Parts: sequence; C-alpha cells; structure tokens
Amino acid sequence: MARNFIDPNTVKFTVRDKIFVDAELYTGEKFTMLEPHRLFPISGLMKYISLLDEDGNEVFIIRDIEQLLPESKEVILKCLDERYMIPKITKLIKRTEKFLIWMWTVETDRGEFTFEIINSYQSIKILYDGRILIKDGNDNLYEIPDLYALDSRSIKLILPDV
Amino acid sequence: MEQKTLLTNKPIPAELEAKACSLLCGASPLMAIVGDLNLDGKYGVSTLYVCADRLVALDRFLPDGGVMMLFEDIEKASVKRLYGNAIFRVEDKSGKVSDLLRFTYSTTDVCDAVADFINKTNEGADIDEQLLVVKNTYHNLRSFCPKCGRKLANPEADCMNCKGKGKMAQVLYGYIKPYIKPLLISIFLSVVTTGMALVPPYITKMMVDDIIPGKNVKNLIITIAALLGVYLMQYGLGALRAYLLRITGDKIIVDLKKDIYAKAQYLPMKFYDKTSTGAIINRINSDTTQLQNFMLRITQEAVVQFFMMIGIVVIMLVMDWRLALFSLVPVPVVALLSRYFGKKLSPMYRRLWRRSSSISTILTDTIPSVRIVKSFTSEERTINRFSRYMDDWFNEDKRAAKTASVFPNAITFFVTCGSLLIWYVGGRYVIDGSTDLTLGVLVSFISYASMFYNPVNFFASLSDSYQNALASTEKILDIINAEPEHNFGKGNSPKFFEGKIEFRNVNFSFDRSKKILNDINFVIQPGETVGIVGTTGSGKSTIINLLMRFYDDYEGEILIDDVNIKDIDMEFFRSKIGYVQQEPIMFRDTIFNNISYSLPGAHVDQVLNAADVANAHTFISRLPNAYDTTLGERGVGLSGGEKQRLSIARAVLKNPNLMIFDEATSAVDSETEKLIQDAIDKVIRGRTTFMIAHRLSTLRKANRILVVDKGRIIENGSHDELMALKGKYYKLIQIQSMSEKVAADKAAENFE
Repeated sequence: MARNFIDPNTVKFTVRDKIFVDAELYTGEKFTMLEPHRLFPISGLMKYISLLDEDGNEVFIIRDIEQLLPESKEVILKCLDERYMIPKITKLIKRTEKFLIWMWTVETDRGEFTFEIINSYQSIKILYDGRILIKDGNDNLYEIPDLYALDSRSIKLILPDV
Repeated sequence: MEQKTLLTNKPIPAELEAKACSLLCGASPLMAIVGDLNLDGKYGVSTLYVCADRLVALDRFLPDGGVMMLFEDIEKASVKRLYGNAIFRVEDKSGKVSDLLRFTYSTTDVCDAVADFINKTNEGADIDEQLLVVKNTYHNLRSFCPKCGRKLANPEADCMNCKGKGKMAQVLYGYIKPYIKPLLISIFLSVVTTGMALVPPYITKMMVDDIIPGKNVKNLIITIAALLGVYLMQYGLGALRAYLLRITGDKIIVDLKKDIYAKAQYLPMKFYDKTSTGAIINRINSDTTQLQNFMLRITQEAVVQFFMMIGIVVIMLVMDWRLALFSLVPVPVVALLSRYFGKKLSPMYRRLWRRSSSISTILTDTIPSVRIVKSFTSEERTINRFSRYMDDWFNEDKRAAKTASVFPNAITFFVTCGSLLIWYVGGRYVIDGSTDLTLGVLVSFISYASMFYNPVNFFASLSDSYQNALASTEKILDIINAEPEHNFGKGNSPKFFEGKIEFRNVNFSFDRSKKILNDINFVIQPGETVGIVGTTGSGKSTIINLLMRFYDDYEGEILIDDVNIKDIDMEFFRSKIGYVQQEPIMFRDTIFNNISYSLPGAHVDQVLNAADVANAHTFISRLPNAYDTTLGERGVGLSGGEKQRLSIARAVLKNPNLMIFDEATSAVDSETEKLIQDAIDKVIRGRTTFMIAHRLSTLRKANRILVVDKGRIIENGSHDELMALKGKYYKLIQIQSMSEKVAADKAAENFE
C-alpha cells in the first residue's frame, strides 16, 4: 500500500492535547486525536512525521515539518517535543565507576539528573553526525549534540568511553 | 485487607508527604510512586499515592500542586508510553483525561501495575489479590544489591559483582594459582640467569685492570673459560625458562578461554540481545591473548627485570657509591613520566578497543551473510563500510602510537643523559686520579649502568601494556561477571510431567520503552493442542520465549503442572520441550549429528525413527552420503523445507512432553508444507502442543486457539467458537481465505 504523504500546504493542525493534534485538510476532511510520531527519531528530527490515529494506524505522513504552515509547524513541534524525551547533556558533573557500572551525574536541558550505565561499551554510541547517544540502565536515552562544545573537564571524562 | 506498610519505589520527599496528608483526608495509602519528572517534562519530583478507594497526585504543575480522585469517579487509569518517558493518566466518567504523573522509564513497571490495580479494583476484583500483584512488582523493582546497588535479576539472586569475583586482580590470580609451581620454578631460573647476566661486566673490569695489563695469558684463558661457562648456563637455563613460561601461559589462556566460552553458554538471552556476537568473539580471542601477554610480562619479565635492577644497584654501590648515586638521578623523572603517559594512554586504549570491537562486529555481520551481500551487489558498499571502520581504527591507533612511541624514547633519552653524566664524572675521577677509581671499574660501571636502564625502561613501558591489558580485562570481566540464567530450581526434577500449563497475570517488556505482553492469563490442559495467532509483533513468539525460559524477568507466574517453572531445574525443564522454530538452525556437521544434537549418544535406530516421523528419512536416504552428509554453515546444501524436517526430527528424538512449533511452515511452499504438517500431526499426538502458525488453516485441528493482539489475549476458544464469535480470528480467517483464493486463481491462470 502506498503511503499517504500529505501536501504540507493543504493541512492545518490544531492542538488537541499535549501529544495529540487535530487535522483539517483543504478538502474539508477532518481528523481528530492524531498522534505525531517521528519515523526517524534519531537521524531525522524534522522529517517524515507519521500521524497515527487512536488505534495506532497511520493516517498520513508529513515529509518535512519545515514546509508546514507556521502555526501548524509550531503545533507539531510542540507535540513532538512533549513526546520525545532525549535530554541533551550540557555538562558531566560527576562520573564514578564501580564494578564496571558507571554512575553519571549530568546537567541537561531538562535539569540535573543522575543515572547508571550498565555497560559503557554498548550503551554509548557515536552517531554518523558526531552526536553521542547514551542509554542508561533503565533504557532512557540522553544525547550529547557536540562533545567538543562541552567544557574541557566533561570532554576529558567522556572521551575514554567514545 | 492485610497490608499496612506503604509500598514505595523510593523515599518520599517530606514536603510532598505533608501536602499529601491534607489531600488524603484521613485515608491510608497502600502504595506510592515517586516520579522523577514533573508534568512539564523537566526533571523534578512528583508523587502518586494510591489508597483502596482513591488516589492523590502531587506535582507542581497540577492545580494547587495536587489533586485527589475517588476510584468511583475514574473510568480508566492508564500509562501512556512516550519516547524516553511516560505519563500516568486517568479518564473520568465524563471522558475528561488528566495527566497525573510523569516519569522516565525507571518507574514504568510499577505505574503499569498501579494502573491495573485501579482498573481491576473498579471492576470489582478482589483487592487483596490485586495488591499482591502490585507488591510483587514493587518487590522486583527494589531488587538491588544492598552492597553495590546493582540491579539483580531476581530479589533472591546473588550479586555477581559482590561475590568477591569482581576484582580484576582476584580474577586473574584465580587463573594463575593452579600453575604457581612451574611459575615459581621459572622465577627461580630467572633469578639465576639474571645473576649470570651480572657477571660479564665484572670480568671485563678484571681483564681491563688486572689480566691484560699484567700480560697473564693463563689467567686470560681461565677467565674466558669461566665467561663461556657463565654464557652456557645463562642461555641454557634461559631456554628452559622460556619453554616453561610458554607452556604455563598457554595453559592459563586455555583455562580462561574455556571459562569465558562456558559462561557465554549460560548467559541469558537479554545479554545476547544487547551484545553483538562480534564483540563476544573478540573477547574470547584477542582480549584473552592480550591478557596472556600481560600476565606473562608481569609474572616473568617483571621479576627478571626487578632482580636485575636490584642486583645492578647493589653492584654499582659496591663499586663506587658516588657514581651509583649519579646513575639514579634520572629514575624519579622516569617514574613521573611513566605515570603521566599511563594516564594519557589509558583512554586511548579503551577507545582503540571500541574500534576493534566494531570491526569484529562488522565481520560477523557480513561474512556469514555473503549471499545477501552478493545478491544485492553490495560488495563495494560493504568494502567501503569495512574500510571506514578500519580507517577509524587506524586513526585511533595512530593517536595512541604517537604517545606510545614518544614515551619509551623520552625515557631512553633521560637515561642516556644519565650515562653521559657518569662518563663525565667518572672520566674526571680517572683523569684527576683524585679517587681510587680505575679505568676498568669505570668501563665496567658504564656497562652496569646501561644494563640498569633496561629494567628502568621496562617498568616505564609496562604501563603501556598494562593499560592495554586493563581494557581487555574489563571486557573479559564483563562476561565473567555477567549474571547467568538463574536456575533457582536446580535439582528439582519432577518425576512425571503431565503438561498442564498456566500463565497467570504475566506482563513482560524487553526494555521499558514498550510493553510486549500485557496481563496474559490462560490454562492449557495436558495433551491439548493450542494455536496462537495474531498479527506480526502481537507478542505470539514472546509467549513462547517466556515459556522456554529464555527470559525470566517477567511479572506474574508461569506454571507447569501447578509448579512455577522457575522452581523447576532449568536443564530438566528444557529437556522436556521440543522446540521447532521458523528458521531451523543447523550446525556445520553431518545430518546424523545434527539430528542427534538433541539426544547425544542416541542409537542409530532412534535417529532413523525420528527422521522417519519427521518425513525426513526419504530425502536423507536419497542424498549420496545420506546421514553422513556434512552440511555447510547453517545447513547450506538443503532446502528450507528439508532443514525444517531435520529440525522436527531433532525435536522428536528427545521425546518431549511439550512441543512448540513457532511458525514452522511459514517459509515453505504448499507441497513441503503438507509434508511438514503430516510430520507435525504425527509428533503432537499425546503431547501438549503450542503452534504459532501463519497459515490459519493449519490450526483447525487445534483444541484451542489463543488470539493475541498488541500483547493481550483478546480471544480464546476452539476454531468453531471463535468463528461464531465473529471477532478478530474470524476476520483473519476471512482475509486469509480471500488472499489464498486470489493466489490460487492466479496460479491456475498462469498454469493455463
């Protein structure tokens, strides 16, 4: 079945809930309680957004958020921001290790947090674009957008693990 | 209601506790969840209290910082999983949905249990029973080692890290200990050869100062003969020592590799889900070799060099204490440099290890899949990818090489400067004649000094191989210290296995981001054939994975003949199950050995009989080498249907009480499917059987069919019952009948 890619100029999104939107097409067709999902939550944050109905079925796909009407873009971005939580690490405050389990206390764009990394070799990955993705012992994800933009102490502490 | 103590996942902050009191209005809470996010998605503290008839949520983003809701006003409580976080929300009778608590994945399990508790209590379920389920979830959540804080696989499990095995040196000593005797002999030989090595410079001194100036030919011959004897002893014993060392080193590494391999066999599936096979192979092969080299350097060379250093220092002090002190001048510099470079090298070797592990992973990924690579003409892409990884490794190694090369040379430079100092000071003494230092003593001293710097150099460069070994040891310990599959019921092998199976309130997720099974409950009577159907990803195979005990960290209970499967000896339990999976796995071995894999030592008759039952005997006997045919890697040389029948024969051979067919016929044509289906019909007689089938027509004979959808069992009954129900199963049958009809029509058209 061919995917239903929506023309960004023919749709208007309005907020329904934190993570749900309503959509109205140029044709007058209306959809309620749609849930935007990133098809590429790691590699393509602004592209290919799938809109799912309440049963989890895909209604249509937005190819590029940037091409939506400004108000619609804002609605979708806000919704995605609520759904996707990959805190961006801005500083590594403390890093301790015991029996190969690492405890990191970090400063992120969502506040300070402490988490455990069970296996640093498998839980810390460098992505193709240089971003570093970290998975903690509870399967939560964290991102370091640019390692070398951090303070020198953080770089020194993180570098051996990447 | 029995429970009095408050269940909680972590301590509740005092300020929230005080606020809760006013909202609870005297009701006593049964459980509390402390969340780690605020409703705005930022890190913070929030709490949810749950009583028998109400809940209280506290979060600074709620109106007035908290709300109270009576269960009777709640239509449904649920956990909405987002990405990296989740929200506990309730829908009231008017349909209004409110978010009450937000949290990261660390709390999802307990929130799921609490949502179930509220819903089921509202539906009129027994509150004590529901409380027990929640209690178990809290119990599992708090299964942390009190000593190191590491999460345990089970509340009763031993912490592998704190069993005293965790420390690197202890682990390594455990492998050296059995070979302490040959190692001690080798050390003794080292001391002797080191002593021998110290003799020649002294003889040089005698020759320069006494024998040659004295023109004593007889003494010259005697001294040379003595020197020859020393050389013979030194190199003869050296050879013996080298042999002993090599054999002992090999034995240590054989033990280590055997242990890691054995450990790898007992690691739970979760470990393999998260670790690439390439990384594991790398650990067993190259990391152990790395470690062997280091252990031998430490136990042998280090000992030799140490004695050499001490011996030389003593001799130098005896010969001339002033010069000896001059030669020690560079030592503190060397020690400081060694420490500095060690710190620099350590992270480099860790990074280097990551790169070589990635290379192993890409090799284990692509080499076995060479058919796919070729069929998609991706050779160039694969080569480029590999080259990229190799380049990455090279760049990292180049970085490490710079430091590792500068380091020993910097050390050598400093120690050479030390010898220049000795030449200067000693030369002045000899020229001035101000001391009793002779030319012979000076020449001999210089020889000792250059010998002295060898051990200094050695210890300085030891940190390089130490850092390298440290990186490897960490990886090895990662396997050695990993928690194996828990066999709590070891030794408990019931005499009789009837085959009654019960799933009781089973919930499971591979990781916390998505719940795979949700409240699974069913009972299968002995001898029943049960079909499990559902769309792809609905959770069918996961039910089987849990029953096979591939994953143990589920909530709820799975019972066989009313005994929890976790309380039964794992080896015994699995030996009673015949498992045929969608993609049959064959080993690079003969067909006979592949079938008898399930029953080592099986009689030929038994194997032939099993092959016959599996409708495999006919095709095997037609092969030129029949049962002696050696299969290629993963069964290359046989068709999918043939491999599947071998895998059924393998399962039949061990005469299991319980048979599991996981989409056994999904990848074969209709004719082969019939052959396999006939084999299955013969095999399942009198055995409790689970069949996951893609083609629903194959399940018509099943006594019962479970329909799984989004991790829940939504229908449970016989084929006729489910057809009459006109639910999901009915729809699936309709869709499949239609598509089969279209396919048959098309086939007929093409045939015509």
